[in-house]
Amino acid sequence: MLRYILKRILQFIPVFLGVTLILFIMQNVVPGDPIKLIAGEKKMDPQTEMNIRAAHGLIVTDENGNIVFDENGDTIETPLVSRYFNYLGNLLQGDLGTSYQKGRDVRDMIFEAYPYTVQIALVAIVLEAIVGVGAGIISAIKRYSFWDILVTLTTSMLVAMPAFWLGLLLQLFFGIWLKDATGGAFALPVSGVPGPHPQFPGWMYYILPAITLAAVSTAYTARIMRSQLVEVMNQDYIRTAKAKGLSKRSIIFHHALKNALIPVVTYIGMDFGAMLAGAILTETVFNWPGIGQQTYVAITQRDWPIVMGSITVIVVVVMIINLIVDVSYAFLDPRIRLGNKSEK
Amino acid sequence: MQYPNLDSVNVEGAPAQAVKRDGQAGKSRTLWGDALKRLKKNKLAMFAIVWILLIVVIAVTADLWVPQTLGDPTASDTATMASSSRLAPSLEHPFGTDTLGRDVLSRVIYGARISLTVGIVATGISTAIGLVMGALAAYYGGIWDAIIMRLADTFLAFPYTLFVIAMIAVMGDGIQNVFIAIGILGWPSIARVFRSAILSVKESDYIDAARSMGASDIRIIARHIFPNSVASIVVYATMNIGGAILTEAALSFLGLGVIPPDPSWGTLIQEGQKFLQTEPWLMILPGLAILTTVLAFTLLGDGLRDALDVKMKDA
Amino acid sequence: MADTKFTQPVMGRRTFIGGTLAAGAVAALAGCGGESKDGGKPASGDKVMNFYLSEPAFIDPYNAQENQGTAVVFATFDGLMEWDWDTASPVPACAAEAPTVSEDGRVYTFKLREGMKFHNGDPVDAESFIRGWKRVASPKMEAPSDICYHLAPVAGYKEFNAGDTEEFAGLKAVDELTLEVTLTDPMADFPAVCCHPGLAPVPQCALDDPKAFLERPIGNGPFMLTEPWKHNQYINLAKFEDYYGDAPKLDGVYMSIQKDPDTAFNEFEAGSMDFAAIPTGKIKKTVEKYGKSEDGFTSTPGKQVMLGTELSTYFLIPSPTDPYLGKDNPKASMVRRALSLAIDRQNIVDTLFEGSRMPATSIMPTSIDDSPENVWEDCKYDPEAAAKLLDEAGYPANGDGKRDIQITLNYNGDGDHGDLMSAVQLNLEKVGITVEQSTVEWATYLTQLSEKNFCLGRLGWTADYPTMDNFLYPNFYTGADNNYEEYSNPEADKLMLEARQIKDEEQRKAACRKICNLIGKDMPVIPIMFYAHNYVGSERMKSFKYDAQAKPHFQTAELA
Repeated sequence: MLRYILKRILQFIPVFLGVTLILFIMQNVVPGDPIKLIAGEKKMDPQTEMNIRAAHGLIVTDENGNIVFDENGDTIETPLVSRYFNYLGNLLQGDLGTSYQKGRDVRDMIFEAYPYTVQIALVAIVLEAIVGVGAGIISAIKRYSFWDILVTLTTSMLVAMPAFWLGLLLQLFFGIWLKDATGGAFALPVSGVPGPHPQFPGWMYYILPAITLAAVSTAYTARIMRSQLVEVMNQDYIRTAKAKGLSKRSIIFHHALKNALIPVVTYIGMDFGAMLAGAILTETVFNWPGIGQQTYVAITQRDWPIVMGSITVIVVVVMIINLIVDVSYAFLDPRIRLGNKSEK
Repeated sequence: MQYPNLDSVNVEGAPAQAVKRDGQAGKSRTLWGDALKRLKKNKLAMFAIVWILLIVVIAVTADLWVPQTLGDPTASDTATMASSSRLAPSLEHPFGTDTLGRDVLSRVIYGARISLTVGIVATGISTAIGLVMGALAAYYGGIWDAIIMRLADTFLAFPYTLFVIAMIAVMGDGIQNVFIAIGILGWPSIARVFRSAILSVKESDYIDAARSMGASDIRIIARHIFPNSVASIVVYATMNIGGAILTEAALSFLGLGVIPPDPSWGTLIQEGQKFLQTEPWLMILPGLAILTTVLAFTLLGDGLRDALDVKMKDA
Repeated sequence: MADTKFTQPVMGRRTFIGGTLAAGAVAALAGCGGESKDGGKPASGDKVMNFYLSEPAFIDPYNAQENQGTAVVFATFDGLMEWDWDTASPVPACAAEAPTVSEDGRVYTFKLREGMKFHNGDPVDAESFIRGWKRVASPKMEAPSDICYHLAPVAGYKEFNAGDTEEFAGLKAVDELTLEVTLTDPMADFPAVCCHPGLAPVPQCALDDPKAFLERPIGNGPFMLTEPWKHNQYINLAKFEDYYGDAPKLDGVYMSIQKDPDTAFNEFEAGSMDFAAIPTGKIKKTVEKYGKSEDGFTSTPGKQVMLGTELSTYFLIPSPTDPYLGKDNPKASMVRRALSLAIDRQNIVDTLFEGSRMPATSIMPTSIDDSPENVWEDCKYDPEAAAKLLDEAGYPANGDGKRDIQITLNYNGDGDHGDLMSAVQLNLEKVGITVEQSTVEWATYLTQLSEKNFCLGRLGWTADYPTMDNFLYPNFYTGADNNYEEYSNPEADKLMLEARQIKDEEQRKAACRKICNLIGKDMPVIPIMFYAHNYVGSERMKSFKYDAQAKPHFQTAELA
């Protein structure tokens, strides 16, 4: 087991280097100068531009922080390679750099945004587990019944709709129409996080974004749950149990469910990892100040320190979650021996 | 990753793990014949095919009748713009009009052209890259396999939506760049599908036989391995079209896709979002177009999967 | 709140690592009396205004630029001068009187008021201004300011900003309360430059602990931060008891940071916000419900919707290298004038903005100077005249009404300009011009602009100072920074330099009007509209002014 974990971590290193290297290459080929961008539509004075570049280590400076010029009197751009190694070196010391746009510590900004992403992911994952597993079980037990068809149809639709559109629909139903229908007495908040003086009770702010975030994966959870349970129910040991005359309820809850749940739990675990990667569209539609939106804005502003910092954190978190899921998979299912798995 | 976008990643994505159940050679003719029979019996799949054909026909013939009856999708009369702005749905304008007084149904129909093209072209690109990468990895194995699979891991490790946005940032706006970005980023999943499909038949006797008869590697892959994996690839690609349509919608919603005044379904939702409170249909109707179209491709994919007897894990 | 001797709380990295929980603890630490536990909001009996703000970039004056940041800085800092909208001229703030100017117009001497204090009790003296201004111009800040160009007229700026010297030669503290500023060249508008919120004094602690200052600036204005800025949540201001000027009538201002103006507006309608922006599509309804402010900038009960014109112009900008609009075409100015005549601004403003913008009549917003002399003759809708001009310029219409001109409208696709550009496209097509659009991301767009890789782009110009010169010189002086269109008119250049030296306000304005009119004959850019307020104040605000430069006048604001 330990060997497997070590192997996974070793495998992760090239992936991590690959991700960060691709980002670094992007920085160089993407149009748009991050420093000129700070001044927006007003053109920046060349000296100012130089000073800011020097402050962010984009051009070469001497040990006193003075800008070094070449023989033509031009500044010398810090080579991409040395910036990349600087980034890795700083990363090892826990330093993620300073934002170009805001002049703030990127680490502080990530620590501000990430809790929001984690909060909404937690709510969403609970929702997904309860609703998805529940719907899947009902659907499997009462195959081809009205409920089964309802679940199948709903899940197909959820999978086929853009999540941001679902978010807007929810805003329309619960934010606007519900308010109109109740004469302004009741509505759900449609945007933002609860501030210190929220208009609604704090927990209500989580409802709509969490539903939006959970929708597609809840549909998958239900489908996986259903197909797993159906498959397990056809297996020999369940037939034996049936032959023994055990009640259907007892068979399902004492025997079948346990085995059928394993892939479902794995899926939910992986999905949690994916949610922790930030949800740009959900966060954008609901003005949720999480890591996805922050990174998206940073890409549009070419604020590379934030982009690099956020994606680094996201990739590491997702990797850890996936590793935990795989390891616990082995604990849950004695048939699996991790050491023998070649891929995944 | 079936729908590797829109904030919910199907990590343990079904099609990515698709493995064909029986990889016997020589069966393909009856396989496809039987499949067609089975598909015809699947009412949902047939319904999906009819819907897709209908949309395709409408989109292709749009120039012939839409501007004449509904109105120009991109232009309006500036003189009457103010009075025809954001009209409610009526007989004349079944989906209403937008801020500039353009007919929304006409824009939705022209949007179908863009969405369908993106779906098909982007899937084509990722399938092509995926096939080559998957074949290289599986057939040659060893270091090739290791490098390609690590590269696939790297691509999959990126938060997908952020990656597409960054690609668009690099390449610039415009629909052809959306094709390319979605296409390029979609290859790892299909490479995995193809790789596992090849692995399952690579060691079989008839491949050995072909090799002993002096067939070249490319010939073996093209003549023997590919036909045996084509079923799972077809199923995967069909489902992927829906995913590509959703991704394009998301990009256009963020203002990164098509260039105005051309309409795309995502752009229409973005425009409609501003008037959620006063003219909600502007946002709802284009969304329904996406929903039904993607649903049709999913149902068709499901139908093909059952008909071709492609075994998909967890689906 | 009366305790002015509080020490500044240091919000180091360590405290921040705990994320939201630790940040709460910091807020509690920062308390210095007078606050309730409830997120630092004073008790409800107090007169606290709830003000909507979107997240600023900087609230430290050294880099204060966008409306959000300057709103905070205006409330917490006072500079030497401030702009008086009634007389349209700068009046003394921290300065005791108008500055004296040397004979050659280069040396300005400011006498400071006596007894002014910072929020931490430090005295405000000439040295504190030099400190503040040096921070603006210093290349050694962790993130150097990009508004340092405001100080460019001051002698010694260049050397100091390049890091060649530690001394800023043009700034001199003659004595404790006398600041002498030497300019490189005479500039009669310099007192208006001194109105910029970035040119504020700062206490010594800004240098000792710049990181803390960035999050919680200590100023000398009528309000002070009671705790560090809670990013994306709020900024809490309380009345500064030792303020030198008239005491504010508010006890505090609670700046609620909201990403989405719609949310803030909903809260406004629910009664928990005193100031909000009105979302798209709701302006007419809001005016019906809350009444329209008389001057467009002041909200009083029953007349609460502020729609005054701002100091910003939205214009189309032709590339100097474009074959039709650029410098190589001798008839380019005729083509540009024709384009301008073809665009139905009123229609765009009414359809797209519910009349909440003003159709542009020239580059000069009417709120800065409404003399008819500023009006550009061709800034109006007259498609027949446009067609005629195009005929004359050598682009006659073919049989199908098309002319041999292809225009590409370049802009950023992520900025919600699509409808406006599509409307412009329709207008231009109507006079026979072939038009297509091309969008890129904002970042890429700016690169296109500076590399002249565009045809007809768009820009917005927002005044740094409410002076006429600020709309002319940066945009149209040969080689000026923002002269993307590379307009060059020797006569206008000469007049602009001359106008900068005219000491008399009225004479200077008259000169600027002439220049504006002169430039307009060439139509170097095509003005579309003036930005305007779309804000509303609450009924309980007895009076609240939000001026054309987006400065909230908290000091004079009154709550019922």
